[in-house]
Amino acid sequence: MTYAPIAQQAVTTPGDVLAYANLPFLWLVAVGVFAVIIGQTVIYMRAVRKAAPAAEMSTGDISTSVRAGAISAIGPSLAVVVVAIAMLATLGTPGVLVRVGLIGSAKYEVGAASIAAGTAGGTFGGEGYTPEIFAIAFAAISLGGAMWLIGALVLTPLLKKGDVALSRTNPKLLSIIPAAAMLAAFFCLGFQQFVISSTHIFAYLGSAAGMALCIWLTRFTGKKWIAEWSQGIAIVAGLAVAYFITVAS
Amino acid sequence: MTTNAIPTDAKVSADGLAVFDRTTSRWGRLTMLMGLALSLAGPIYIVFFAGLDVGISQVLVAFLAVAATFGVLWVIEPVTYYPILGQSSMYQAFMIGNIANKLIPAALTAQTAIDAKPGTRRAELSAVSAISGAVIIHIASLLIFVGLLGTWLLSNLPPDIMQVMKTFIVPAVLGAVHVQALMHLKQPRTALIAVLVSATVVFVISPMVPGFGMYGTVLAVLSTVALAWFLRKRTTPTDAQAS
Repeated sequence: MTYAPIAQQAVTTPGDVLAYANLPFLWLVAVGVFAVIIGQTVIYMRAVRKAAPAAEMSTGDISTSVRAGAISAIGPSLAVVVVAIAMLATLGTPGVLVRVGLIGSAKYEVGAASIAAGTAGGTFGGEGYTPEIFAIAFAAISLGGAMWLIGALVLTPLLKKGDVALSRTNPKLLSIIPAAAMLAAFFCLGFQQFVISSTHIFAYLGSAAGMALCIWLTRFTGKKWIAEWSQGIAIVAGLAVAYFITVAS
Repeated sequence: MTTNAIPTDAKVSADGLAVFDRTTSRWGRLTMLMGLALSLAGPIYIVFFAGLDVGISQVLVAFLAVAATFGVLWVIEPVTYYPILGQSSMYQAFMIGNIANKLIPAALTAQTAIDAKPGTRRAELSAVSAISGAVIIHIASLLIFVGLLGTWLLSNLPPDIMQVMKTFIVPAVLGAVHVQALMHLKQPRTALIAVLVSATVVFVISPMVPGFGMYGTVLAVLSTVALAWFLRKRTTPTDAQAS
């Protein structure tokens, strides 16, 4: 295979896809999802306040819990922001807000979008990332994300009653099969990057090195915030390596 | 019911919590359905009304490939998180996402802060409160740093940086994911099978069969699942009976 310099691979400019990815309707939907979540939070907090005396919970306990939750979410939220910004060029701002910021997660969205783009003969972000490939990938990851919500909607009442057959099946089945599926999907997608260009390999290695360093620093210093930020740091490291190679060549 | 009723009154306490369960399950489900509909409205618009040449069959094939890879998680994750989150928080958590890295630590911190024992109603209400607090921070940081700053960045970043962000986002995410998967190995045997199968599919089978690439991931996932299951460690006699 030939490793073409990136300037020659760039058949489409990011603008093509982003013209569709930032359509006003998508913004409207993103604002709608935010509104629904804020509405849910208000309803839930009112329900908590009403039920608190029955659960022997004081008003102070409620505010302590809200504050504890808010403070512990600062680090992870900002870490998600870094990952989300890195994905703006591929999914557009409203798509990133809904798919990476809420409902989904970067790891799953990138994996699923690559698989979806592959079935249509394109790649996610790279060569031949046309508006059509964006539409197919965006639709497939949204449908996939919807299945998580449907899973929660269907299973929660069943689990409440405690009669889900799944919980009685072999626990080994429940631990081995999801792990095998996730590992195979991510290793396969990763190896596929190796045959695209040498810069892809270096971007991958930069990201891998960033993550390894973060994990080592977390163990060495015992500071948990490094682990929280590891994914963001690693993605920036991978993109930086790719940028310097592109500029240098 | 008088407002100053002593909470140890079992009847009052059961009533108050029954109201809580009804409110959160009704409104939790309703808001989740609304979130579900909204999250699908965007792609429906892009596929059907944006003037792109995309067929429903292409979307379906793409979705089936995603389902073959990640579908098992749609069932496993709700079952895994339910005992930790409880009914009410399930509807919050699955809509907000980032469950394991943000919401569960938030809930545990809050429960520790007010000394609520896991499994009690007090712990459940504490988790709902903590997740609500986390939601406020998360929503605010997304709106400010991604919504506003991101829009500004998109129109001001030099085109070559944008091009790099777009072209190399996939390897830049996956390098980190691989290292994380290997460093936190809980199942070395499964990981080894996954690495060998994936390498065979990508480096040996795909180059030999033209046009095979797109089905490679699905093949790798299905073969790894099968191999990992049949080659699993069978140590205790109970496992042998169970299989």
